[in-house]
Amino acid sequence: MRFWGQALEVARVDFRIEAREGEVIRIVMPFAVMALLVFPLAMGLDLSTLERIGPAVFWALGVLFGMQVALRQSAEEAVSRKDLYALAGLDPAARFAGRALSGTLLTIGFFAALWLGMVVVYSPGLPAGWPGPTAMATALVAIGLTELGTLAGEVTAGLRNRTALASLIVAPLAVPLVVGGSQTMDSLARDESILPWVLLLLATDLALAVAGVGLARPLEEASR
Amino acid sequence: MTRVQALFAAAAAAIGIGLWFAFNSTADALQGEYSRIINIHVPSFWVAFVAFGVTAVGSVAWLRSKKSRWDRLAASSAEIGTLFSGIGLFTGMVWGEAVWGRAWDWGDTRLATTAVMFFVYLGYLALRKATPDPLTRARRSSILGVIAVIQIPLVYFSVNLFRTLHQTQSIRPDGSTMPDEMLMAMGINVLAFTVLYIALLSARIEVASAEATAASQPRLASDGVTPPRFNEVEDV
Repeated sequence: MRFWGQALEVARVDFRIEAREGEVIRIVMPFAVMALLVFPLAMGLDLSTLERIGPAVFWALGVLFGMQVALRQSAEEAVSRKDLYALAGLDPAARFAGRALSGTLLTIGFFAALWLGMVVVYSPGLPAGWPGPTAMATALVAIGLTELGTLAGEVTAGLRNRTALASLIVAPLAVPLVVGGSQTMDSLARDESILPWVLLLLATDLALAVAGVGLARPLEEASR
Repeated sequence: MTRVQALFAAAAAAIGIGLWFAFNSTADALQGEYSRIINIHVPSFWVAFVAFGVTAVGSVAWLRSKKSRWDRLAASSAEIGTLFSGIGLFTGMVWGEAVWGRAWDWGDTRLATTAVMFFVYLGYLALRKATPDPLTRARRSSILGVIAVIQIPLVYFSVNLFRTLHQTQSIRPDGSTMPDEMLMAMGINVLAFTVLYIALLSARIEVASAEATAASQPRLASDGVTPPRFNEVEDV
């Protein structure tokens, strides 16, 4: 089986597990929507403030909870599954690509639902022509976040304090993604070029993809 | 005198000279005495960037060779880098409080991105602490050591990327924006801090080697005794 065939197979297995466990839909998503509701309550229900901060809250919650999508328990592979992949001759880089692919698609779905929730709850004033650039920025953030989450999930696999430790690793490294995503929206609102921010997102995604594929074999060894 | 002691002696002399220049160069006309903080602030971040670069190099070298000395180099350098980025952040905040009127200004993106870099390496050190097995620890932290450098360009170029309170680079390919006297004092301090970094790194690597040796030794008398297996014991 070729590289992408292997990657798609790994992604298919991940989707099956997620379909059975429903961790993203049943746990992460309701928690994120709850957080969307907590912000206005904490800030004091001022409608003009809420309209203004809506997109910023989306990016902040998107990264914090998107991280939980990437680090979901159902994505942590048991040693037996890792052994099975290794014995089947699965390319570690294809494994990384497959896991990043499934995580990205789940994160994009999560972002879409979160965006919808933010628009309903905050009624933000969105700049003209927002759908295209927003969709592109969201997809690029989702790719980077999943790559980062996959890498952090592997290096913390099996540790007792995995959830907190992986979050501590991902959160600061995800800052270029938060900055790129939020500044794309900001530049759009100010009628400025979004190119520098799109390039920042692309460069971050590319660097993480190169790191993930290049370090795939040591990652596989490290996660045991 | 051992090599590490000699390095510390050299570092102490270099820091002494650096401080003399720092306190005897002309102060900035607007910032007054607070401008002298630059002689600690910039060298601290210089050392932090060098240290994190060394961590990345050590991590790559470990991944290629699997020799424990590279892991010790990477880990020791990360600890020192985290310490110096903490010092750099603190001195930056002291300067900000005096000159801008507030220690943390969101208009200064360099401050925010540097704080992020500090947390990245706190995560690196936490990962090492959380992984008891030395080989697994070296494997995992070397991967993170490589990935962690990805955000360093964002820290360095943040002053160019954003509209920020922090000034852009003072030393550029077309010359310096600083007076020669201040530039020389800062340069001497950068050199002094680099010597201090080398001394601290050498000492920390020696400690790490001693820790590794101690960990491989039996700690209790009973650790060295292997109990007989069940079927090796004859009935009495």
